[in-house]
Amino acid sequence: MTVVIGLPRDERATAAVHLGSLFARSLGENVVVCTVVPQPWPAGLARIDAEYQDFLVQDADAALARARELQPDDVAAEYVVVHARSASAGLLEVAERHSARLIALGSSTAGVLGRVAFGSVAERLLHSSPLPVALAPRGFRCRPVDRITELTAAYGATEGADQLVIAVAGIAARFGAALRIASFAVRPRTPLTAGVGSRAEDAVLQVWAAEIERAQQEVLAEVKRLPHPPDTVPPVIGHGHEWAESLENIGWDDGSVLAVGSSAAGPLERVFIGSRSSKIVRHSPVPVVVLPRSAAEALAERAETP
Amino acid sequence: MATLMQQAFRRKPVMAMADETGADREGGGELARTIGLFQLSMIGIGATIGTGIFFVMSEAVPAAGPAVIWSFVIAGVVAGLTAVCYAELASAVPVSGSSYSYAYATLGEVVAMGVAACLLLEYGVSSAAVAVGWSQYLNALLGNLFGIAIPEALSNAPEQGGVINLPAVVLVALCAMLLIRGASESARVNAIMVLIKLGVLVLFIVVGAFGWNSDNLADFAPYGITGVTGAAGLIFFSYIGLDAVSTAGEEVKNPRRTMPLAILIALATVTLVYVLVAIVAVAAQPTAQFEGQEAGLAAILEQVTGATWPGTILAAGAVISIFSVTLVTIYGQTRILFAIGRDGMLPEFFHTVNPRTRTPVRNTILVAIVVALLAGLIPIDFLAEMTSIGTLVAFLVVSIGVMVLRRTAPDLPRGFKVPGYPVTPILSVLGCIWIIVGLDWITIVVFVIWVAVVLVWYFSYGIRHSHLGDSGITSKDLT
Repeated sequence: MTVVIGLPRDERATAAVHLGSLFARSLGENVVVCTVVPQPWPAGLARIDAEYQDFLVQDADAALARARELQPDDVAAEYVVVHARSASAGLLEVAERHSARLIALGSSTAGVLGRVAFGSVAERLLHSSPLPVALAPRGFRCRPVDRITELTAAYGATEGADQLVIAVAGIAARFGAALRIASFAVRPRTPLTAGVGSRAEDAVLQVWAAEIERAQQEVLAEVKRLPHPPDTVPPVIGHGHEWAESLENIGWDDGSVLAVGSSAAGPLERVFIGSRSSKIVRHSPVPVVVLPRSAAEALAERAETP
Repeated sequence: MATLMQQAFRRKPVMAMADETGADREGGGELARTIGLFQLSMIGIGATIGTGIFFVMSEAVPAAGPAVIWSFVIAGVVAGLTAVCYAELASAVPVSGSSYSYAYATLGEVVAMGVAACLLLEYGVSSAAVAVGWSQYLNALLGNLFGIAIPEALSNAPEQGGVINLPAVVLVALCAMLLIRGASESARVNAIMVLIKLGVLVLFIVVGAFGWNSDNLADFAPYGITGVTGAAGLIFFSYIGLDAVSTAGEEVKNPRRTMPLAILIALATVTLVYVLVAIVAVAAQPTAQFEGQEAGLAAILEQVTGATWPGTILAAGAVISIFSVTLVTIYGQTRILFAIGRDGMLPEFFHTVNPRTRTPVRNTILVAIVVALLAGLIPIDFLAEMTSIGTLVAFLVVSIGVMVLRRTAPDLPRGFKVPGYPVTPILSVLGCIWIIVGLDWITIVVFVIWVAVVLVWYFSYGIRHSHLGDSGITSKDLT
C-alpha cells in the first residue's frame, strides 16, 4: 500500500512530490517516486538507440536524485525508473506492482499558477486509471509536517454521487480530516432576446439549489450513520457566474483537498472525467483527487463495514 | 378570510420576487449595468426581426394589396407605443421578469393569469408559426441545393392538403434537445444573427429592386382601410420581440435615457427594413401571386433574377436565423410556465428542475410537444393571427396597467416614465384595439375561449394553490 508519484523532469517535480507526500503522510504510508522512460526498440537496430537509452536513463536518474532532495524526511520513499510505451502506462504498471492506492501528479506548465491544469499524462490517466488520481495545482507546495485537514466532496445529486460522498467520508475518517459536502451553482446568463428578464435562469438555479440542499442533508445524515464517521462541516453551495467564481465562493483552508467523482458515462472501473467534473477540477484552487466509480464503490463499501 | 376579489387581485410582493431569483443573495445581488445603447438596440433588433418578416407577406399582401406597406407602418407605430408603456411597467418593478411577473407585482393575480394566457400565445403559438415558416425556407434551400423536395404530405398542415409539417416538428424537437442540455443565446450569438438577418433582408431589397414594376402598384389599396388594418393584425406578429428591450432594464446603463432611445432605434431600424422589404416585394410581383406562396422572399428573388443563387443565399440565412428565433421563443415559453408553476398557479410539474442538466426538463418536453403539434397540424396564417391577438391583448393590459398604477401608486419609484403621459398609453390602447378589431372574427372567438379556459383554470385551481394564498398575503400595497 503506497502512493505513486509521477515525477515530471522539470520544476513541476516539487508540486508532485509535495502532493504525494502529503497524501502518504496523511495515510501513514510510503511513496514510490516514479519516472518513465520510453521502451527501447527491439534489439538489433542501430546502436545509436542504446546510447539514447543510456542518456534517458541517466536523465531519469538525475531527476530522481533531485526528487530525493525534495522528499520530506518523515515519509519513506522508493525511487524507480520504469520503461514503458507511455508515461501513463508506466505509472499504472508501477502502481499495480506496488499495489498503490493513489497516483499523484503535478499540473501542466501551460496552466495558471495556483490552478490545476491537465498535462498530457493527467489527461490520459483521467480517462483510463482504475486508481484515484491526485492533481496538484501549479506551484503547489506544503510544509513537511502538513496533513490533509479537510476533504471536500463535490456533490452533484446525480447517479453515484451519494456513493462518492460515502467513499470520501471513509477516506476523511482515515485521514482524520473533516468532510465537507460542496455543490456548485453556476448561474447561466438568461438570453435577453427572450424577453423574460435577466433573471429567469437564476430562478431555475434557485430551485435546483434548494433541491441539492435537501439532497446534501440526506447524504450527510447517511455519513453520520457510518460506523466510523469523520468530522463534518456543514454542506455548502458555491454560487457564481462562472465556475471559478463559484469554487472560490465556498472558501478553502490550507489543508483542503477537493474530491470529485468520475462521470457516469464512462466505463465503470476507470476514472473517466466528465465535462462538469473537469470544469470543477480546472478551477480548483486546492489539490484535487479524482475517484473512479469502481474505486468509489469499493471505498464506500469499506466505509460502511464496521 | 379574504373575499374572492381580494384573493384574485392580491399582488406579489417585490421582496418575494427578489428572493426567488436569489437577487439579494450572495453572488446574485444587483446585476452589473453593462448594456449600453448599441447593445440594447441590437437586442431589440435581434429579438424582433425573424419572427415574421420572412413569411407574413404571403398572408398579408392578399389581405391588403400593395397598401400592405401602410400595414407595416401602423403595426410598427403601435408596437413602439406598447413597448414604451411596457418599459414603464417593467421599471416600476425593481426585479426583472416577464410581463407576467410585472402584472403580478403591480396589477394582481388574476390579471397576471390573463397576461399569462396571452403570453402562451405570444411564445408558444409564435414558436409554432416560426417553425412552420422555417420549414418553408428549409424546403426551398433543399430544393435549390440538392434538388430534393420534402413530399407535400410531410411538409404541410392537414388543412393545406398535407398530413403533418414534419420539418417544423423536427425543428421544435431539436430546439427542445438543446434547451434540455442547457443552451442559451449569448450577446455575441445574437449580434451574429442580427447581421445574418439584416444581411439577407438587405440582399432582398437590393436584388429585388431590379424587379421593380410600377404596374404592380397601380391598384394600391384594393380592400381599402379594412384591408390595411386586417393585414396590420397579421403583421403585428413580426414586431414581437421589441418588448425584450423593456425587460432588460436591470442591466442597462442609464436606463432612463437608454431604454426609450433603444426602443426607438430598434423600432426605426426594424420598421425601415420591413417597409423596404414590403415595397420591393409588392413592386416585384402582382398581388395575386402572393397567395399561398411558400418561402416567399426567396421565391420573389428567383423570379426577379431568373437565377437560383440569390434565393438560395436568402433561404440559407433564413434557415440559420429562424432556428435561433425558435430556440429563444421556446425557451421564453418554458421559463414563463416555470415562473407560473413556482407561484403555485400551475402544478409542480412545471417547475421541477432536473438535477443533472439543471434545466426544467419536463416543462421543456411538454412545451415542445404542444408546440410541435401546433406547428405540425395548424396552418401558418391562423397561428400568426393567434400570436398577434395574444401579444396585442397583453400589451393592451400593460398599457392600461401603466395608467392604473399612475393613479393607485403615484409615488412608486419608476426607473423610466412614459413620455407624453397620458397620451402615449391611451394611443397605445386605441392602437391595439384598432388592430384587434381588424382581425378575423374566428381568431377573436378562439382567443376569448382560450382566455376563458385559462381563467376557469385559475378560479378552480390557481387561486387555491397560489403560494401567495399560503402565506396569507392579500391585496397589499407595494413596498
